[in-house]
Amino acid sequence: MSEAIRFESVSKRFGDTEAVRGLDLTIERGEFFSLLGPSGCGKTTTLRMVAGFEQPTEGRIFLEGQPVAEVPPYERNVNTVFQSYALFENLDVFENIAFGLKRRKVPRDEIRRRVTETLELVQLPARSDAKPRELSGGQKQRVALARALVNRPGVLLLDEPLGALDLKLRRQMQIELKQIQREVGITFVYVTHDQEEALSMSDRIAVMDAGEVKQRGLPEDIYERPQGEFVAGFIGISNLLRGVVEDGGTVRVGEALRIACPLPEGCAPGQEVNLSVRPEKIAVEEIEDGMVSLEGTIVSRVYLGVSTQITVSLGDGATLVALEQATYRARADERWEPGMQITLGWHPEHCLVLR
Amino acid sequence: MRGDRPREFDRPRFLPVLMGGFLIWTFAPIAIVVLFSFNSGQSLQNFDGFSTQWYSDFFGDEELRQSLYTSLEIATVTMIVATLLGSLLAYGLVRARNRLSPVTNVVMLIPLVVPEIVAGVTALLLFTQLGFRLSVTTIIIAHITFSISYVTVIVRGRLVALNREVEEAAMDLGATRLQTLRLVVVPGVWPAILAAGLLTFALSFDDFVLSFFTTGESPQPLPVRIYSSIRFGVTPTINAIGTLMLFVSLTTIALALALPRLLGRRGHTVLIGRDAL
Repeated sequence: MSEAIRFESVSKRFGDTEAVRGLDLTIERGEFFSLLGPSGCGKTTTLRMVAGFEQPTEGRIFLEGQPVAEVPPYERNVNTVFQSYALFENLDVFENIAFGLKRRKVPRDEIRRRVTETLELVQLPARSDAKPRELSGGQKQRVALARALVNRPGVLLLDEPLGALDLKLRRQMQIELKQIQREVGITFVYVTHDQEEALSMSDRIAVMDAGEVKQRGLPEDIYERPQGEFVAGFIGISNLLRGVVEDGGTVRVGEALRIACPLPEGCAPGQEVNLSVRPEKIAVEEIEDGMVSLEGTIVSRVYLGVSTQITVSLGDGATLVALEQATYRARADERWEPGMQITLGWHPEHCLVLR
Repeated sequence: MRGDRPREFDRPRFLPVLMGGFLIWTFAPIAIVVLFSFNSGQSLQNFDGFSTQWYSDFFGDEELRQSLYTSLEIATVTMIVATLLGSLLAYGLVRARNRLSPVTNVVMLIPLVVPEIVAGVTALLLFTQLGFRLSVTTIIIAHITFSISYVTVIVRGRLVALNREVEEAAMDLGATRLQTLRLVVVPGVWPAILAAGLLTFALSFDDFVLSFFTTGESPQPLPVRIYSSIRFGVTPTINAIGTLMLFVSLTTIALALALPRLLGRRGHTVLIGRDAL
């Protein structure tokens, strides 16, 4: 694979605030790459620098191997799907989608052919002469996508494109977006704060916080093996227990609670660490051989349908959240009640030590 | 409760009376001027019968007619130049990220609050100091100067509501800055530009104080011309001129309000008439 975008120690400052700090990142051609992080983490600024709406304060950006510092937005081989859709209200759907091709003086019949093709790709062939204000949110979204895709850019930038849609439509569009990306094979750079969206669609993810990339990798790596507290806390629900490393491969949480876990190399006794266990990896009562097991008291129970979320106090101020699949207790008279004693367990490899 | 009707204490009865009084006080003199412009007699008290002789008098008077044309010329040039400059200033103020823009924002409002008489005297002093010969050109310069602020305030109001991402989208799709301005920004704000232009025309056409200080000997704009002529006695021709000027001004304002709506209905844009004026 060859590279589509490369950031070389890119920083962006707005006055005193540093939006992006020392970003080094390569995005491969044909990849579905997500920038994931909370609002204000610098992900949108990163995207805007690729589009050319912002200039890096330091560092360089390369598009398909070429530095783009001198290239204005209208000459870059990238197109953007905006969060607000940013459709041209005075033009109809066809004219909106044809806008980019017209600027590039593409012949009329080719414009007609490509717009029609793209309208079919986004499943909106019947609305070509509607005005944007006559469209629903989902339809506007499709027009915005078609307007960018029709130009066959080297890179498609998507800035929280599904943010304004309701949950059901979001899920549907997530699947469609991924399908479209596979079909056209264009590099997608997708900005989102929704971890589920990033996990479900991306080939690779970079998690950003406070202007820095905290971790990059495959969705499974990001979720199962978060590096550091921020990623573990931001992706999914995570149990974080603060403790001190002891001799003999255990971590002491609070006064008396000792938890065995695989310590990463270079973990010296006396060091303060965080333990992280995903709630769905925690077994409730069904303890298997080789599991670490702990006793606790149920603090609260939330029935979620597909699973039940139980909060358990381990004493010493430590609490864990466990998700029990509905495979087990499926009836109201089988409920866990607050105050009940319970045994939790997990396989040692599911307990991560974060430094 | 008696349905949706507001209770009596919610709407004091004297309000309609007050409103009626206000309307009569404001419009009765104007109505009388219009009525007496069609009077066949010389009297300004008794209506003797219908005639258009004062209009014929007006159009027969070479100097008066010249003044009318001068006023129209001044208003037209002012409208075009001030609307262009004011709209560009508004765009700059809304889009530029610049340390000077807050200052410009305040400076721009000064012409709106400076008493016109002060502006007039200042303009006169400036022109004479610089050795300009007072003429139609000096009037136009003075009018443009104070009109720019009106245009900027009106156009800026609409620009602020324009989604910045739409402009970025245009550039993202290959439109240069100038193309973006032409294809996206102007279609988005043109009702405001139109309203601002017509308002500027009306203000310039009506203006007396600034014109009075910056006018040359001849030709003089209509308001100045009327002022000098009534010093030698009031003739009913004044009524005819007044009615004509009223007609021009009202038509302009009506266009400023109605055009954006009429054209907006065809689906080109959102109306702004209301918040612009």
